[in-house]
Amino acid sequence: MIRIKRWLSERLPLAEVESAIAHKTVPQHRYSLWYYLGGMTLFFFVVQVVTGILLLLYYRPSSGEAYDSVQFIMTRVPFGWLVRSIHAWSANLMIGAAFVHMFSVVFLKAYRRPREVTWLSGVLLLFIALGFGFTGYLLPWNQLAFFATRVGTDMASTIPVVGEATVRFLRGGHEVTGATLTRFFGVHVAVLPAITTALLVTHLVLVQYLGMSVPPSVEAKAAREGRRVSAMPFVPHFALRDLFGWTVALALLAGLSAYLPWELGLKADPFASAPAGIRPEWYFLWTFQALKFMPSHILGLNGELVAVAALGLGALALVLLPFLDRNTTRSRRLIVVAATAALLFMAVMTFIALRGGGQ
Amino acid sequence: MTRAWLVVPGVVVAVLLSATVLTRAQSPADQATAAFRDDVHASAGLTCASCHGAPKPGAGGSYAPIRRTAIAPMCARCHADAAYMKTFAPQVRVDQYAQYQTSVHGRQMAKGEERVATCSDCHHAHGILPVRDSRSPVAPPNVETTCAKCHADAARMSPFNVSADIPDDWSKSVHAEALLKRGDTSAPTCNTCHGSHGATPPGVDSVANVCAQCHVREADFFKASKKHEIFEAMGQAQCMVCHSNHDIEHPKDAWIGLEDPALCSTCHDDSTDSGKTILAIQRGFQTLTEKQTAAAALLERSREAGMLVEDGDAALRAANEAHVRLRVLVHTFAEAPFDEALKTGVASADEAATAGQHALAELQFRRRGLAVATLVILGFLATLFVKIRRLSPIE
Repeated sequence: MIRIKRWLSERLPLAEVESAIAHKTVPQHRYSLWYYLGGMTLFFFVVQVVTGILLLLYYRPSSGEAYDSVQFIMTRVPFGWLVRSIHAWSANLMIGAAFVHMFSVVFLKAYRRPREVTWLSGVLLLFIALGFGFTGYLLPWNQLAFFATRVGTDMASTIPVVGEATVRFLRGGHEVTGATLTRFFGVHVAVLPAITTALLVTHLVLVQYLGMSVPPSVEAKAAREGRRVSAMPFVPHFALRDLFGWTVALALLAGLSAYLPWELGLKADPFASAPAGIRPEWYFLWTFQALKFMPSHILGLNGELVAVAALGLGALALVLLPFLDRNTTRSRRLIVVAATAALLFMAVMTFIALRGGGQ
Repeated sequence: MTRAWLVVPGVVVAVLLSATVLTRAQSPADQATAAFRDDVHASAGLTCASCHGAPKPGAGGSYAPIRRTAIAPMCARCHADAAYMKTFAPQVRVDQYAQYQTSVHGRQMAKGEERVATCSDCHHAHGILPVRDSRSPVAPPNVETTCAKCHADAARMSPFNVSADIPDDWSKSVHAEALLKRGDTSAPTCNTCHGSHGATPPGVDSVANVCAQCHVREADFFKASKKHEIFEAMGQAQCMVCHSNHDIEHPKDAWIGLEDPALCSTCHDDSTDSGKTILAIQRGFQTLTEKQTAAAALLERSREAGMLVEDGDAALRAANEAHVRLRVLVHTFAEAPFDEALKTGVASADEAATAGQHALAELQFRRRGLAVATLVILGFLATLFVKIRRLSPIE
């Protein structure tokens, strides 16, 4: 073992890495708990990669075989039910953890200089995670996913000039068909993972390079008291706590998968009428509900177009958040108010949608 | 102010004019003219004169009504003429009048009894639509309502000694449910069994042939059974003995048996071989039903627990189909063919139950696995917790 280490040290900067890890610290204060959310999201992502690869061994991406292959995985493949259920639950928990992580970064103002690129890569990773969710939802080719994808892709048709072309690009034709499934599969297992790898490496390297951000209020308090902000060693203090959180997440995943196995539903039938209660995954529910509440026309403009434009502007504001923060008390207060309002809006819309769409 | 006195008389005149126009629109001649616009004959180029002949002299162009006894012969002028009818539709039938003459309606009408049905009572006089048009009174879903116009009228039926309950009886039947609730236009309505133009009640010895139009296998089994000869010798109306005629119910397993309310108990007891056969068939149904119920409950429990039981569902469907086949095989009134099909049904039900048991066993395995995994995870978490507590304090 020692010989192997010596052999590797002669070829790789192991000593520098060891030294960096040994000296790396993580700030310790009343908000430190939120630091674990990023690691938790990463844990769920790793689970996704592992279970996704296992599912790939049996999944067949065509409209004729997709549903049956997932059914085969769940009934015939040893522990296939567990792998598929963990993949589905972990996807949802990953997106949940990513949302909480993002809002914690906003409220703790961790996006400030010099972490603009970290923020940017993180927001893009969240969008990619939503893309994973949207494309993955269709892959079992069941009735609910089929019609939800039809509604979801149809939203793009409201975009002026390029709307119809965008819908055709997303669907691989005019309608949701086997071509859409193949396309979504390709995006889900090749395009998005490739982009994710690049963004994730950037994000993690920057987090290590720049360290954890300390909230301005904690910094100010420490300065007032004339002391440094407390810190804990990354190894073993933070790493063991991270491991504790991941183990709890693993137990949660196992429990959910065993007691609430993810349903498969009925096979998609393009000629059937849309089933009652058609709705997307929970993280798109607020958008779905907001669109339902939109009047058909606002100031002479198509209501759906206005909603899509508002969503686009919201996404753009999120991406540009570090540049909108003018480093003044007023602008930061404004950002906290806007983030709280957005969070409340999303929570209320999701709640209404879960209660039956306010009808 | 100067014009105000004109308003009231103006309104009165307008109302009177409107009333006159509306009243004129309600006259029988106008109604007939309006209805004829949609008539299949109008689209074929026929006119009022084609049926009514020339207008009445000095009657302002109006036509004389056609006597009820003359309606069918008048329709037959064209509808019994194959050469003429072919010019409209090459495969159109031309035997309606011949059929009508054999019917109870046609025979009574020939005697001068004008209260019985003729062509216009079922098809309308004006505004006649093809049968395939869902608005037509003789389209399958509307036939019972059309017949019921007369046959549900007790006062009208009593002189002919015909029950007025028949339409109501039929509307409670399995056939009415299929046709009117499920929209299955192949389900029988009045004319399917009685004939359309040759409407006549089927005779005692022809009932089985009427039912056999659809229930082919039941009829074949029945005709090959001993029961057929016995019923013929007794003058019993075959299918009707057990199934009745108009208010035909869904078949029930409880009909088989030797105790009331089983239908067999009307004629049979356990002192004969046939009684033993009935008891064996009854036991067979009970066995299969019990197994189907148990399997269905197991599969439902598995499904509720989130397990996929497609194989079990398929086996249960096979058992349900076998149950239906057994009900058909009852018409053999023999134990041997019934037993053979019963074995298939029982095997399918057992297969479904096994699938349900396997699913529940798998569920238990998963839960035990989860319990073990949870214990391991909890142990690991406890170790981690202790390790974290023992770490050097944070500066």
